[in-house]
Amino acid sequence: MTAIHAEGLTKRYGETLALDGLDLSIEPGEVYGYLGPNGAGKTTTIRLLLGIHRPTAGRAELFGVDAWADPVPAHRRVAYVAGEPYLWPAMTGAETLEFLARLHGGTDRAYRDELVQRFDLDTGKKIRALSKGNRQKVQLIAALATRADLLVMDEPTSGLDPLMEMTFRECVAAARQRGQTVFLSSHILAEVEAVCDRVGILKQGKLVDQGTLADLRHLSTHTVEVTFDGPAPQLAPLPGVQVEPVGRSGLRFEVGGSVGPVINALAGHPVTALTSREPSLEEIFLHHYDGHGTAGHGHG
Amino acid sequence: MGTVSQQAQTAPRAKDRPARGPAAALTARAAKNSRVLTIAFTYLFVVYSFIQPYAYRRGYATLASRRAFAASFEGNKGLRLLYGLPHDVATVAGYTAWRVGGVLAIAAAAFGLLVAVGALRGEEDAGRTELTLAGIVSRRTAYWSAMAAAGGGALILWLAEFAGFLAARLPAAGAAYLALATVSVIPVTAGAGAVVSQIAPTRRMALEIGGGAVGLLFLLRVVADTVDSAGWLRWATPLGWAEELRPLAGPQPAVLLLPAAASVALLWLAARLGATRDIGSGLIALRGSAAPRLRLLSSPAAQALRSQRDSLTAWAGSGAVLAFILGAVSGSVTPADVPHRLDQQFAKLGTGSIVTPAGYLALIFLFVILTISVFACAQVGAARREEAGQQLETLLAQPVGRAGWLAGRLLIAAGATVVISLLTGLLAWAGAASGGAHVPLGQMIEAGANCLPVAALFLGIAALAYAVVPRASAAVSYGILTVTFLWQAVGALLGAPGWLVGVTPFAHVGLVPAEPFRAGAAAVMAAIGLAAALAALAVFRRRDLLGD
Repeated sequence: MTAIHAEGLTKRYGETLALDGLDLSIEPGEVYGYLGPNGAGKTTTIRLLLGIHRPTAGRAELFGVDAWADPVPAHRRVAYVAGEPYLWPAMTGAETLEFLARLHGGTDRAYRDELVQRFDLDTGKKIRALSKGNRQKVQLIAALATRADLLVMDEPTSGLDPLMEMTFRECVAAARQRGQTVFLSSHILAEVEAVCDRVGILKQGKLVDQGTLADLRHLSTHTVEVTFDGPAPQLAPLPGVQVEPVGRSGLRFEVGGSVGPVINALAGHPVTALTSREPSLEEIFLHHYDGHGTAGHGHG
Repeated sequence: MGTVSQQAQTAPRAKDRPARGPAAALTARAAKNSRVLTIAFTYLFVVYSFIQPYAYRRGYATLASRRAFAASFEGNKGLRLLYGLPHDVATVAGYTAWRVGGVLAIAAAAFGLLVAVGALRGEEDAGRTELTLAGIVSRRTAYWSAMAAAGGGALILWLAEFAGFLAARLPAAGAAYLALATVSVIPVTAGAGAVVSQIAPTRRMALEIGGGAVGLLFLLRVVADTVDSAGWLRWATPLGWAEELRPLAGPQPAVLLLPAAASVALLWLAARLGATRDIGSGLIALRGSAAPRLRLLSSPAAQALRSQRDSLTAWAGSGAVLAFILGAVSGSVTPADVPHRLDQQFAKLGTGSIVTPAGYLALIFLFVILTISVFACAQVGAARREEAGQQLETLLAQPVGRAGWLAGRLLIAAGATVVISLLTGLLAWAGAASGGAHVPLGQMIEAGANCLPVAALFLGIAALAYAVVPRASAAVSYGILTVTFLWQAVGALLGAPGWLVGVTPFAHVGLVPAEPFRAGAAAVMAAIGLAAALAALAVFRRRDLLGD
């Protein structure tokens, strides 16, 4: 049974099409990164998955349960971290953690105490006295401590400092080791690159690309930089390869697909240095958003 | 301050220019933020100021009937308590000044407080003041711009009341003066609101302290108007000043100096207090830490009860105190000086006989029913705030059902309504007993319980409005409540046919203890309320959660 399954999931708010026919399938144990800029439809997707908002068309299931029709059974196996920490200002951190633990059930209190230590949270403070990052920690600790089968997180590290960001990544890694599924919506590419097995890229309500990082890289351009002993030679045009000069004696090749033809073309020239680099997730991401990327060639 | 008021005055002029100054932009923003409140009060002012003189003219067409009416009213302390001290109720103008001025002055007091706290502490609570002051705007400019918007609101209400009177064919000069007397309260309570906005760290606390202060001002007027030796207390409250202006009955315009001086002093004090404190906090510091209290955390309903506890206690406490005072006053109502025929005429107002302690208490309990219905609507409003603040999303992402959540909130509201109603009945009895009036305890408990069917009806209506139109739910529920209540008060006087008067639930309330409890009507109202609540649960189950 899949952890998250969505079919043709669509949401329209008045005139705005926020999510357009999302098909998504996430297996138990996967850590899935859900990427997109502000307003792409990430939070809408999560609200539909959790049954907070009602799909205009299509359906979504968490472990085979439709969260719109049956939210209570669906949510028993899920813990959620919202993008904004909307909590109760007059309650302290400890009271909030206890309240959320009693609502969810199954909280590992020993692990919760450990998380409080690791995230360095003062639970005696009232929510209203906490900074945004610290309120975010309250949500994160509450969610992680449930040891839920599925963690749904909407930009969970917004407001966290770099040390806490590292702690967060460790906790996600630990969750994966325990076999928990993680759905991580983010626009922090380094975070997704660090913790996710599989990535989906959302653009204007549509999933435009999806796959493992290796898949995405394979289908994107590699960058090959070559330095020559002396002026750079003139090479015959190669199909699918863009060339631009780097200084007087260097060339940069943007290669879609295999780099073989470039290596062949270089044979016989006085190459002194050659570097080849896979695209970063940032480059893949920007590829879809620089205005040249063609939407809809998903292959997940 | 001089330069600042200049800034405020330049606001409208700057509006015409392509680039508006920050003061004008802030004033316009504050006016827009309070527009729902202003529209609601404008509606109340225009309708009430039109309908009362119009209905009086129709209901008491002859001079003789007015004289007789006046005779019955001038000595009645119970009515003074609600409407203030009458000066000349034998004329349309005098009646209007008493009946409209007294009630709308209370509304004006509430408006001043709400608009000032909303524009100052409300904005600060939401974090927007910090954003504003991070720009090229001084604290002084921000403060006086917000207050200029409140002044604009007062001007709109003055126009609304004036227009209502003109439509009811009152003389223009008198109408303008009466409207001025009414809205003279606004700058004073707005000044008080500005001061509590500096003191209290949250909007809610500012409204609670300010509401308490306005309640006290009302209580002072009540005592001044009902206790013969305490008339001087009228000079201690802006609601008393509005009376002492004597609109349409021997005007004393010099009294206007009092609200003018008081509002300048309060506004100046608030500006001084606000000049040096930290933005985002009040002079009262909130505790940032506390030892955990883990009771009432087992369910969303328990947690709601926990967070509402102070507010529920305040409602119950102030209800009990007011009921006791009103009960005590009921002893001063005597039937001796009111002819039977007049009493019957007053019954046209829909309030039954008012010349006995029981009759007077029945009239008072009509207002208690109204207040408890407001309470029921306010409870649904608290549920809506949890959704608007998105804490509800946090809750419903847990294994918590929507219907269960809303049902829990409605049950808390219903339970609190029962407690407050019965407590009010009990304390009114105690007050009456202490004031020497003999009304049986059982009857007063029954009077308290008699609030419940109407409250259940409005709880159901408010819940349904919340489920169907969450963002407009407060406007819808309070709007229906206001319209049906006013319709009860004036529908019969306007000569509307019986079936049309009967559309308001208030027409079907047996005014216990003066009249018998109407079980059939009560059952119908409770059933409609329950049906509406069930419909609300079904609708709420199927809609998106909506933030602000």
